[in-house]
Amino acid sequence: MTEQELIFGLRQGEESAFKELVTRFQDKVFNTALGLLQHHMEAEDIAQEVFIQVFRSIQNFKEESLLSTWIYRITVTKSLDHLRSKKRKKRFGFIISIFGDNNLPVYEPEDFNHPGVLQENKEDAAILFKVIDQLPENQRTAFVLNKVEGLGYREIAAILNTTESAVDSLLQRAKQNLRKKLNEFPP
Amino acid sequence: MQKKFSQQKVLGIMESLQGIQPAAAPDFFYTRLKGKMQPAERKKTFFMLRPAFITAVLSVFLIMNVVSLISIRKGAKEPVSMQSNKPATIESFAAAYNINTGSFYE
Repeated sequence: MTEQELIFGLRQGEESAFKELVTRFQDKVFNTALGLLQHHMEAEDIAQEVFIQVFRSIQNFKEESLLSTWIYRITVTKSLDHLRSKKRKKRFGFIISIFGDNNLPVYEPEDFNHPGVLQENKEDAAILFKVIDQLPENQRTAFVLNKVEGLGYREIAAILNTTESAVDSLLQRAKQNLRKKLNEFPP
Repeated sequence: MQKKFSQQKVLGIMESLQGIQPAAAPDFFYTRLKGKMQPAERKKTFFMLRPAFITAVLSVFLIMNVVSLISIRKGAKEPVSMQSNKPATIESFAAAYNINTGSFYE
C-alpha cells in the first residue's frame, strides 16, 4: 500500500488501512516516545494516543509533509506534553507535602534501560539517559530523534519545523550540556 | 566524597548509544489500541444518559413548573371585581348562567 492509498483508506475509515498504519509506524512511535519519556508504560500509553489522534485528525492532514513526519510530530508533542504534566504534578505534590500532613514518600523510578542498547553499554547508557532527562526540551528532542531514533538532520528539521543548521546547533548544544552535566555527575 | 568521572569515562558514556537498536512496540499493541478506542465510540451513542444532559432537561421542566405556578397564583390573587370590567351584579350573574330573571307574574 502506497502512502497515498494509506491516507485515502484512513480517510474512508477503513480498518485495514488503520491496521496497516499501526503496523508500519508502531515501532517508530513507541521508540521515540520511549526515548523522550524513559518509561515503558508511559511510552505505550502515549503511542496509543498518537494513533488515536492520527485516526481523528487524518481529515485535517494537508499532505504538506510526509505522513511519517506528521506522525513523528504528534509523537513529540504528546510526549513533551506528558513530561510537562508530570513536572507540574511533582511540583504540586511537593507543595502539598510542605503544607499538609501528607508525608507520602516520593516515588523515584529506577534507572531507565533502553532495550535496544548493546549489553556492554547498558550501565553507561543508563547514566546518559539520566542526564538527557535534564536537557531543555528542544535539545532533548533533537538528541533523542538523532541518537535513539536514528533520524537524519533533514528529517529532524521537518519534524521540528526548523532548518538543518538549527538542528545542528541544537545537537551541538545538547552534547555540550551533556558533557558538562557528566563532569558534574553525580549532582 | 564521590569521585567524578574521568574524561575517558565521560566520552564512553557519550558514545554508549552507538549501535542502539530501536525498541519494538509491546506485544498485542494493536489489540490494546483497538480496545482503548472502543469506549470512546460507545460514549458518543449514550450521551442522553449523561448526568449533565439529564440535569439540564429536569431543570427546564422545573423552571416551566415554577413559572406556571407563579402565573396561576397571580391570577388567583386578583380580586373578582378586577377580573372583568363589568361590576358584579345579580343581572350579570343570571346572564352568565342563562337564568331567566323575569317574574313568574309578568
